[in-house]
Amino acid sequence: MAVFGSTDDMYEVLGNLWKELFKDKEWASKFRESNLTIKFTIDSPSGEIWLLPDKEESVVCGKVDRKPDIEMFLKGDDCHKFWMKELNLPLALATGKIKAKGPVNKILKFLPMLKSAYEMYPKIAREHKII
Amino acid sequence: MYEELNMELTDEHNMIKEEAHKFAKEVLRPAGLELDKIYDPKEMIKSPVLWETLKKAYELKYHTVLLPDSLGGAGVDPLGAHIIFEELGWGSVDLAISISVSSLPAFGILMVPTDRLLEEVLFPFCNDKDASIIGCWAITEPDHGSDTLCPYTPQFHNSEIKGQCKATLDGDEWVINGQKSAWVSNGTIATHALLFVNIDPAQGMAGGGICIVPLSSAGVSKGAPLNKMGQRALNQGEIFFDNVRIPEEYMLVGPDAYEGMVDIVLATANAAMGAFFTGLARAAYEEALEYSKQRVQGGKILFEHELIKHKLFEMFMNIEAARAISRSAMVYNYTNIPPKVEYSIASKVFCTNVAYKVTSNALQIFGGYGLAKEYPIEKFFRDARAGLIEDGSNDSLMLTGAHHL
Repeated sequence: MAVFGSTDDMYEVLGNLWKELFKDKEWASKFRESNLTIKFTIDSPSGEIWLLPDKEESVVCGKVDRKPDIEMFLKGDDCHKFWMKELNLPLALATGKIKAKGPVNKILKFLPMLKSAYEMYPKIAREHKII
Repeated sequence: MYEELNMELTDEHNMIKEEAHKFAKEVLRPAGLELDKIYDPKEMIKSPVLWETLKKAYELKYHTVLLPDSLGGAGVDPLGAHIIFEELGWGSVDLAISISVSSLPAFGILMVPTDRLLEEVLFPFCNDKDASIIGCWAITEPDHGSDTLCPYTPQFHNSEIKGQCKATLDGDEWVINGQKSAWVSNGTIATHALLFVNIDPAQGMAGGGICIVPLSSAGVSKGAPLNKMGQRALNQGEIFFDNVRIPEEYMLVGPDAYEGMVDIVLATANAAMGAFFTGLARAAYEEALEYSKQRVQGGKILFEHELIKHKLFEMFMNIEAARAISRSAMVYNYTNIPPKVEYSIASKVFCTNVAYKVTSNALQIFGGYGLAKEYPIEKFFRDARAGLIEDGSNDSLMLTGAHHL
């Protein structure tokens, strides 16, 4: 059975994750300094989640009319496994479970910022009763 | 230099090109020619010319072109990387390959960046200014050359075809036994290897692993440097592993991701080769063009003879095509994970073939003088020949690429 029952469920969980992260002023400032526009294109269920360097609206669930610096392509279930640390990123990239588009140096700039998300996700997943 | 057809090159790209060309002209070209003349490869690797050249390359961070600035690397974009690689290849393709392949262990760590590997290997490499940390790509073996580089083909999963160099987990360490072939670039001067081993023989080649091995580890020994027809400034030689132990964390990937990672490394390396050999072809063409406008035969300069003009234009055309395909392949494959390896293969095969034909035709234009060591042309021709074989022989690579069609 899919982890996320619908696109809205997925936005609720993953959108929340990123919004919580942006509440951390230090993390938010670091992200905005990187000046990256990141798009997660998710399949099953389908949706898009954008992380933007704008102060006014940093997380958008749905379409945005911009060109991303980095685009990650993955399935909803793999998204969940990734944040639960059940899916190793290099393995996922090497086996095509996650596809990435964008200069490697920008992707690598972003990776260390994911540590905080790993720490936050299990709590959010529990709150939404998906674990 | 050449006419830049990409009108969207930034000021930064133009600056990168100028600086790389200056380094190639003033440092790499004379060094390559001098090192090529040293008969004994054991003496070549002791030559101060080699080490001063590598040191200068490191000072300019050319050893970190594949690595991001956030981790101390040069941080150039894929187009910038191509521009640099073409110029380095123009200078001296053997030294260009040596400088670039040095970064393979760090590149491997980039894919799996644990704090320990960053601290112990990658950061010191990026910060190295005197070429004291040198990497190598230790993949081929005496019985396995191009068949180590055919991921996603049926033969890669044939349990009868497996690597000889093996790794076994013993507690929290991997134990490595076996040998890598005499073709390991930087093999006898390297301090670290990106080593490809067999872990699960039942899966054939696909049952491999990729690890970082400090070559000062107990049990590592090296063969004599290889004496070769061309690319003589590129040190190559065997590495032997006798119960070499590495921490568990130094194994970057195991069989579950091996094939995918081989694909990524192959796509990266082949794309770079496309750029290097575009540079080599251009170097030979420029020499031939200049010579053709000076040498008089039959009462006129060679350039005024129609067949010479025709030949030169064909060389020019092929070099422009080589640049176009190698730039496109590199920009795409250095931007997308997973890459489209067939495009890197196409680039490598096409550009090395162009370099071989162009250097041969350039030598022909020089006539008898083309055979003399007084001119660089004969070195360019000898250097080009290896390109059809190294980093995967072109025939084998084309079959690997064809699997993706």
